[in-house]
Amino acid sequence: MRARLPRLSLLGCLLFSASACSWSRFDDVTKNAPVVLLEKPDSMNGGFGVSLSTVTNDGQTELLVGGTVSVSGAALYDLGQEDAPGTKATDTGYCTGDSGPCSLSSLTAGFANASGPDRARPLCFAVGSGALTNKQGLVVRCQDFTEYTLGMPQAAQDLLAASIVQNKPRDFPMATDRTDDPVLLASLPEKHLAWFYPVKSTAFSELLVPSGVDVADPSFGRALAVLAVAGGRVLALGVPGKSEVLLWKSDGSANSSYIGCLAGAPGLGRALASGNVAGDVSDDLVVSDDTHVQVIDGSVLFGLPQTDSGECGLSAKIPQAVFDGFDCGSSKNVAECEKSEFGATLAVGDLDGDGAGEVIVGAPKMPVNGKENAGALLVYELNPSGAALVDTRVMSSAEAGDELGRSIVTPHVGKRDIIAAGAPGHGKAALFYCSALLPSGAAGSRCP
Amino acid sequence: MFALVSSVFLSRRGALVVLLLALLAALATEAWAQGKDGSGKRLEAIRSEMDRGQGFYLAGNYAGAAEVFEAGYAAYPYSAFLFNAGVCYQKQNDVDRALAKFKEYVKVDPNAPDLDKVNQRIATLEAAKAAAAAAAAAAVTAPVGDAGVDTAAGADAGAPAPPAVVLPSGDDQNSMKSLVVIETEPDGAPLRIYQRVDANARFTLGAAEHPGWKEVVATHAPANLTLDVGQYHVVVDKFRDFNASEADMAVSPGHVHQLKANLSQGKFMAFLRVSSNVLGAHIWIDDKKKEHPLWGDAPHGELVPGGKHDVLVEAPGFEPFLSSVDFEHGEQKELEVRMVRVNYGVLRIDSSAPEVKIRIDEQAKGTWRSGQDPLDIRFDSGNHKLTIESDGRKTFEGTIAVPRGQILPLHAKMIPKYPRGPAWTQAIIGAAFLGGAIYAGAESNHLYNELQTDRQNGSLEGSDSRATRGKWFAIGADAGFVVAGVLGGLATYNFIKDPLPESSVSQGKLLEFDDPLKARPVAHWAPSRAPRQNVAAAERGPRFQFTPSASSTGGGLFFGGKF
Repeated sequence: MRARLPRLSLLGCLLFSASACSWSRFDDVTKNAPVVLLEKPDSMNGGFGVSLSTVTNDGQTELLVGGTVSVSGAALYDLGQEDAPGTKATDTGYCTGDSGPCSLSSLTAGFANASGPDRARPLCFAVGSGALTNKQGLVVRCQDFTEYTLGMPQAAQDLLAASIVQNKPRDFPMATDRTDDPVLLASLPEKHLAWFYPVKSTAFSELLVPSGVDVADPSFGRALAVLAVAGGRVLALGVPGKSEVLLWKSDGSANSSYIGCLAGAPGLGRALASGNVAGDVSDDLVVSDDTHVQVIDGSVLFGLPQTDSGECGLSAKIPQAVFDGFDCGSSKNVAECEKSEFGATLAVGDLDGDGAGEVIVGAPKMPVNGKENAGALLVYELNPSGAALVDTRVMSSAEAGDELGRSIVTPHVGKRDIIAAGAPGHGKAALFYCSALLPSGAAGSRCP
Repeated sequence: MFALVSSVFLSRRGALVVLLLALLAALATEAWAQGKDGSGKRLEAIRSEMDRGQGFYLAGNYAGAAEVFEAGYAAYPYSAFLFNAGVCYQKQNDVDRALAKFKEYVKVDPNAPDLDKVNQRIATLEAAKAAAAAAAAAAVTAPVGDAGVDTAAGADAGAPAPPAVVLPSGDDQNSMKSLVVIETEPDGAPLRIYQRVDANARFTLGAAEHPGWKEVVATHAPANLTLDVGQYHVVVDKFRDFNASEADMAVSPGHVHQLKANLSQGKFMAFLRVSSNVLGAHIWIDDKKKEHPLWGDAPHGELVPGGKHDVLVEAPGFEPFLSSVDFEHGEQKELEVRMVRVNYGVLRIDSSAPEVKIRIDEQAKGTWRSGQDPLDIRFDSGNHKLTIESDGRKTFEGTIAVPRGQILPLHAKMIPKYPRGPAWTQAIIGAAFLGGAIYAGAESNHLYNELQTDRQNGSLEGSDSRATRGKWFAIGADAGFVVAGVLGGLATYNFIKDPLPESSVSQGKLLEFDDPLKARPVAHWAPSRAPRQNVAAAERGPRFQFTPSASSTGGGLFFGGKF
């Protein structure tokens, strides 16, 4: 045995040397990595990953990554159809001001097909407010580089005109549903205005609030969601300052009716998302307050009658509509939830391709591996027994202050959705291709 | 006793005279002893010359023998040398020189007992010479023939060579005459020497006739005689108050014989000659404890009283030889001693190093330091393991053959150890690189494991900086291993590499043991040709030489070198 020891030591050294010699294994391990960072264009000096929006048309998925609100533009990335996304921007001309004054919104929205002034165009994004060829309104830019503006209510037009003159940009948050012919919902928090553009229409329709509803809050319309439900759309608008969510429904035309107001814990409505969580034919509403997230059946909401009541007690009237509520540590012991800004952003995506979407909750201030404010994405699955945390996504190269999860969307790639999340703290935007929910063999080349 | 008695009866002046006489007597005794000793040495020298000439003669080298005899006669004018030289010339058919020697022999020794024989030999030689001359004259005056050639010219050009002298060639090894020295104590005694002519005859002392014996010499002692080979009887007639005495004597060819009669004892002394394979071996007679001066150094011959004698022969480095020899009166004996070397030897060691420690067969045998005489180590003869150590120098280990009864000078050339500083430096740097490589490799593996884990967790991003760091660590590890390997190889090579030759031992010429009875010879180391070790190493050093050159056109001095 003693005689063998030197030989074994020598063999060990050789094996160690051989293993250490292989530097190409690092190329192998990082090839087709499960997380892909998008390259920030040089032209985007003012932040990157502040906002995200995605759209899919005919199997082609595009991702728009926005910079700092009202300061920077946005860049378009072609994510392709499988696991090989383009990491370089294909179009960096979104709301850059080159074509006219443009102020990037905090929430941008994608159109699978957008009804332009002359014809419908695929793969377009409403990115902000501005003026093009002397027409002011919401700026839309399509994949074919076509740009046009959408008209707004007069009060919004006036404010936009003033802001352009005064060079004092205003934020116009926007949202769409994920259908081929989406409805665009927009708001002007400063004027407590909200309006929408019906299906295949460029004409706006203002959302009216009953006189008994107090909307005088600067947080009005900071969060928006459009739910595609059977028979129409449900339009949701958050007023987190008052812990309320205002709801309208529309049949897709310019007609809309106010169906009530959700009230709840402080901060309710700070983030909204829509998606088919229940696995039925309708999108569901996902709403967060300061600590919790709730999922509400969209079809139930769409079935609510119009109301003129100013009372904000809808939750008590439709308890069956609330599928479940959960917080950061729901069903699992997630450390560092406190001050993680859990629920700052929300998204719904069918990560495992089973037809039912999972709820992705951003916690941009969550420490990761001891790195403060690195941020994390928490994935919850809604089961009959309740919602459960099923996955946590972080970046392997997380840095303190990344604030991953400050923006989240779920681009559709192949037969499933992936997570795209912004980490504007250090100007990052990442694609998360893998999920613990993915069945073995369906994960693709990037996932184990 | 004489001085003691004189001091009682003489005055102070008389005492002084007595003391002076005593001193003169002592000096005379010393001179007589020296004369005696000188006579012995002279006889030994004559004997040596005679033996040498006889040796040449027996070997057929007549010219060499003649030359030795001539030289012997020049140094020691005894007629035996002349006769023997003449015989040698006769052997060479050199009639003139032979005749000259024989005639000179007759002239210087007119009373030689063989005078008639020599004259007869002279006559024979002259007759042969005359016959040869007559034959030559006849050949010159003979008619030339019908060829019509001028006679005078034919005499000059075509005359036949005179016929060679044909001398009697009956001389054999017994033809050499010997020198016989006969002495009496005291001198002056009448001598008669009879030669036996009948092999069966016996000599009867006091008889009027001695049938079978022929008186060849009648003279007085001392006598130096030249005699033929044969049996002789020496008779010392009644002299003064001494009685007559006699002795037989066998004369061998080409020798020197010595007889001495102590008339007070009425007997002839015996003669002992001791020779040895060791020249200069010391000889003691009847003195086993060596309490008296030695008898002589071999070869040595001297008259000794008849009877039994103990002969002790010693030489440094040889086992002592002790033998008893029994002599009849007037008998001559030669004792040939073959001495055997002792079974031990001496190693005489010095070195080029300031200090060396010597071990033989792993036993410490001493330390030699620079400035000291070479270290003598006595050890059993035969092969032994010799180890020589010196600080900072390569240890010599080898087998050395200790001679029997001799001194073997050994010079240890101790080569400094090759410095290993570069090897150590390379080894240390190599070890540092190895350590760095191991660290880098471990770090690389750690990062790879992290990345692998993150990939398993689905959180790994393609541009993760750890991959770049891990790759550099891996490359660094590889480079470190390569550098460490190269340095390790270099260090190993430099640990093994040794351009310097090994320490070596050069053997000098074997020396004889110091002879305490002679001036102590100092055995200096002197390189010998045969048993050298590491000759190549010794010749590696630079050498320079001047070579003189000369020719019909000039000369010069060439300077050359080898590095």
